[in-house]
Amino acid sequence: MALDLSVITDNIPLFLEGAWMTLRIAAAAFVAGMAIGTLAAVASLSGIAPLRWLVAGYIAIMRGIPFIVLLFLIHYGLPAAGIRNPALVNGIAALSLFAGAYYTEIIRACVRALPKGQWESARAIGMSPFAAARIVIVPQILAPMVPPVVNCTMTMIKESSVISSITVAELTFSGLVVQGNTFAPFEVFIAVALLYWLICGLFATAARAFESRLAGTRRNRGLTPLVGRYLILEGRRT
Amino acid sequence: MKFDLSLVLAALPRVSDAALVNLRIAILALCLALLGGTALTVLRSLKIPSVNRVIAVLLSFIRGTPILIQIFLVYYGLPAATGLRLAPEVAGIAAIAINSSFFISEIMRGSLPEIEGGQIEASTALGLPPSVIWRKVILPQLFRKISPMLINEGTVVVKGTALLSVITVVEALRVSQQIGAAKFRPFEPIVAAALMFLTINLALMALGWALERRFAREIR
Repeated sequence: MALDLSVITDNIPLFLEGAWMTLRIAAAAFVAGMAIGTLAAVASLSGIAPLRWLVAGYIAIMRGIPFIVLLFLIHYGLPAAGIRNPALVNGIAALSLFAGAYYTEIIRACVRALPKGQWESARAIGMSPFAAARIVIVPQILAPMVPPVVNCTMTMIKESSVISSITVAELTFSGLVVQGNTFAPFEVFIAVALLYWLICGLFATAARAFESRLAGTRRNRGLTPLVGRYLILEGRRT
Repeated sequence: MKFDLSLVLAALPRVSDAALVNLRIAILALCLALLGGTALTVLRSLKIPSVNRVIAVLLSFIRGTPILIQIFLVYYGLPAATGLRLAPEVAGIAAIAINSSFFISEIMRGSLPEIEGGQIEASTALGLPPSVIWRKVILPQLFRKISPMLINEGTVVVKGTALLSVITVVEALRVSQQIGAAKFRPFEPIVAAALMFLTINLALMALGWALERRFAREIR
């Protein structure tokens, strides 16, 4: 079978519109998810037991149910409760809740990794909790947060494809539309996949550059060539 | 409209039956992915330049594209490109297994350098052939080291099975949607489906904790 490239070239505007919508959804979910993550992490670290349990339950549910189920719960549950939003808003809400759970865990882990004395001495010299967090804690957790946040955001961008199932016109949805018009599923989904790949690839490259600038990569600590033959997967055979 | 718990309970029997389909698909896909991931890892360790370059591109593709699109490619794209038409469930298992194989191989790559190098030098000195070194020395330790991450990958696979509702596999989510459409109450049956996925994944996580505790005890 020959690839029919006209299917793709004829519909480039539609694909780009979808990709643009995917980026906007991801950006909105990133901002909202970070807000949720920060609040939930603070609640979890506050030492108030009911709040901690609440956050633990939130995280367990978000990790335990598929994103598509969460999306449907929100998309059908909110109208049942009398709240009618456009599908786009529901999609972003679901994605934010989903990403927020992972951001919560990242923020919490980074704060926990700091020596406890940091917070205690900041409070001891009379800083308010807010000032201690802003001046002492936040600047120190930003750098270690970057790699896991990038990873999680990439997962989130990919997961946003599921929002197509509630008819939000993002990249996957434009693929489904073009496929319905042209009956050329292979070309269409390859094109869609390549666009996602491009988005994620650019993101990953930027992240890697950022990461290697933050810390010299520490790896493959002195394995002999013989050992490396089994335990290392990259590079040349020795 | 008020939330009606009795509708959730009414949907549970059918949805839980359908969840067995999710469980079956997940177990099959995970077994295939374990085999595939191990094979990929050993293949990558041979460091044949052309092969590793192909694997690197495939890995980047699998990691850089949504699994939903990969499922569409196998289910809709493959028949159009090659004439090979797979049943929805088979296509879904194939897509999830391929996806997971690459992720498992990456998990293995990350943990391989943790294995004590002296063991491999000793095995080689004893004259063990590479296949035996892999089977008897490296892989048993490796699986133990990566078991927490494999459990995590298992939950990802279970969650992936929900996406197969989109390609008409009759699993928990799709059945719950059908019940919702028949009763004009879409929300409550989906709560039932969510409970099923939550149950499966929490059981999986509990298994992970139990495994970890046991391994920790054995090491002591």
